[in-house]
Amino acid sequence: MNLKKIKKVTVFLLKKISISIIAILFLSVLVFFMSRLAPGDPLVSYYGDRAERLSPEEKEHALERLGLNEAIPNQYIRWVNNAVHGDFGISYKYKQDVLEVIEGRLINTLILGGIGFLLTFLFALLLGIFCAFREESLLDHIICNVGTVTSCIPEFYFSLILILVFSVNLKLLPSSGAYALGQSGSIQSRLTHLVLPMIVVVLSHLWYYAYMIRNKLLEEIRQDYVLLAKSKGLSKKDIMYKHCVRNILPAFISIMAISLPHIVEGTYIVEMVFSYPGIGTLSFESAKYHDYNMLMVLCLITGIIVIIGNNVGQAISEKIDPRMKTSEIVETTEVTKI
Amino acid sequence: MWQNGKCKSMKNLIEINNLSVHFKTKQGEVEAVRDVSLSLRQGEVLAVVGESGCGKTVMCKAIMKLLPKNAWVKSGQIIADGQDITNLSERQMRKLRGSTFSMIFQDPLTSLNPTIPIGKQIEEAVLMHRNDMKKHESKQRVLDLMELVGISDARLRYDSYPHHFSGGMRQRCVMAIALASNPKILIADEPTTALDVTIQAQILDLLKDIQQKVGTSTIFVTHDLGVVARVADRVAVMYAGKIVEIGTTQEIFYDPRHPYTWGLMRSLPAFSQGKEHLETIPGFPPSLINPPKGDAFAPRNAYALDVDFERMPPMFRITDTHYAATWLLDERAPKIEAPIGGKIINEQR
Repeated sequence: MNLKKIKKVTVFLLKKISISIIAILFLSVLVFFMSRLAPGDPLVSYYGDRAERLSPEEKEHALERLGLNEAIPNQYIRWVNNAVHGDFGISYKYKQDVLEVIEGRLINTLILGGIGFLLTFLFALLLGIFCAFREESLLDHIICNVGTVTSCIPEFYFSLILILVFSVNLKLLPSSGAYALGQSGSIQSRLTHLVLPMIVVVLSHLWYYAYMIRNKLLEEIRQDYVLLAKSKGLSKKDIMYKHCVRNILPAFISIMAISLPHIVEGTYIVEMVFSYPGIGTLSFESAKYHDYNMLMVLCLITGIIVIIGNNVGQAISEKIDPRMKTSEIVETTEVTKI
Repeated sequence: MWQNGKCKSMKNLIEINNLSVHFKTKQGEVEAVRDVSLSLRQGEVLAVVGESGCGKTVMCKAIMKLLPKNAWVKSGQIIADGQDITNLSERQMRKLRGSTFSMIFQDPLTSLNPTIPIGKQIEEAVLMHRNDMKKHESKQRVLDLMELVGISDARLRYDSYPHHFSGGMRQRCVMAIALASNPKILIADEPTTALDVTIQAQILDLLKDIQQKVGTSTIFVTHDLGVVARVADRVAVMYAGKIVEIGTTQEIFYDPRHPYTWGLMRSLPAFSQGKEHLETIPGFPPSLINPPKGDAFAPRNAYALDVDFERMPPMFRITDTHYAATWLLDERAPKIEAPIGGKIINEQR
């Protein structure tokens, strides 16, 4: 019985993993071919302005050196072969191993994007519940309207205003960078540099999600089971937390899973304005200047994050709402249909 | 309990005096319940009958104070178990819900939370008014309740989710929840409407069974007269937010006095046996935004008198337990032979 279950779980996990690997392979093919077929000259990212002054022979030579003169399928096979052995190539722009370039910046972005992501959804949930409790009250109206207005302010403009107020006028917080020079290990320095970009990241997405949660909750409050819960004698608070919030969590989690790529790439504008050394800027540049190897790695990272996020989200949602179960693991007690 | 119109125990568990409930809508103020007076006695089953939209459900929700936000009690008084609950706060009402009265809702498919195992949902109701209960005690109580409402293999199904259950089984779960804290009053709001006919009978028998076992007084809302005959001790007929006739089941079925009750009876399929068409009551119920000033039923009433259109009829007493609101019962009204029951309805008393 128990052994059977373990076997089932292993088979299930193996299936999931192999599907994920296929998905990632597919993604890599797509990105590889699309980036190479897109118009533009990859030599620009390698030689900068000099690329225009290269003679045809020099160009030919450069392309050969970078391995870009072969047929695209051959290039792809070579790339996969190297990648399997841990060699993802060099970045044309930085003339360095891609992983080395990303290494230093990935952690910065994960801090900004990851914490920003968690904070956004945490605050959105709290704000949504807060508003749903006070449906149609003055406070609710004010919050909703303020939210709509602030979410319409462009991120770069909002960032600039924050810099102007807190860095230039009040001189409270640094305006750029991820840490003060030579203090990459200092938590305090990192935190102070994180405050302003974090505010922008959180506030620019917060209202959208909070409003959605509020509406989902209000929809839930009008369900019949809430009436039954009330007639049991449950308080509004208990009904909200034990029943309604629980029931919207699956929807909430799938939205979180969908917006996971924001962690890596959604912070691009903020990183630009605050000169924050993260990979948001990198991925934008790599796509724009045809830094192929860089682009591939960044896309794969995003893809892996999305796939892991979706699977975890699915698992949590199934745990909360067993009706969503699509997997084959059906417990024996569930066959008691009447 | 009811014999020859006499009741053994006369303690009123619920007394509704001149209750009016209004709704605010975009079209205007809807007078959903108009000046209803009613009482529920210890241990009896009172059926409230009427067509859709006549205010049955609103009346029940007003008792439990579960009215939607746009509705309010305009006037009147509700006394439950000797306590005036008309102006109780939400906090005080919470103590009464579940313990003094509880409710079974119309649609069992939606009235359970889909993401919580039903055992847990029943347990929640059990623990609501008994915080001191230990874990195994409350679980045992849940299992007992599940047995009581006829869910076999309760232990196995404790962890099942509502979607594993059929409609009838879910309604049993809802009943278990309603009975969890031994309420004195059970309000069943069309508990069988959403179920198919074979299950309806089972659930009705179960309700009656439990009612006799536990002794809960019940307000039974329905639009099905067949169901009424099966379960009720007394019947109140509602039309357009008002009670038009109230009496024991015997009286209502064998000696109905209000033309609307006649119409309801005659539209029972049994009355049309051998005929080509089912009898119907012509017309539609009136809008309850600015309801008519006379008897709301008058425009659909073949027996309507002129005065019906002008003045609201009061409740005329027929026996101690039987009252009806129609001018036909007035001394000055013409004598009419009732189309059913076969009695001259305006005999000199």
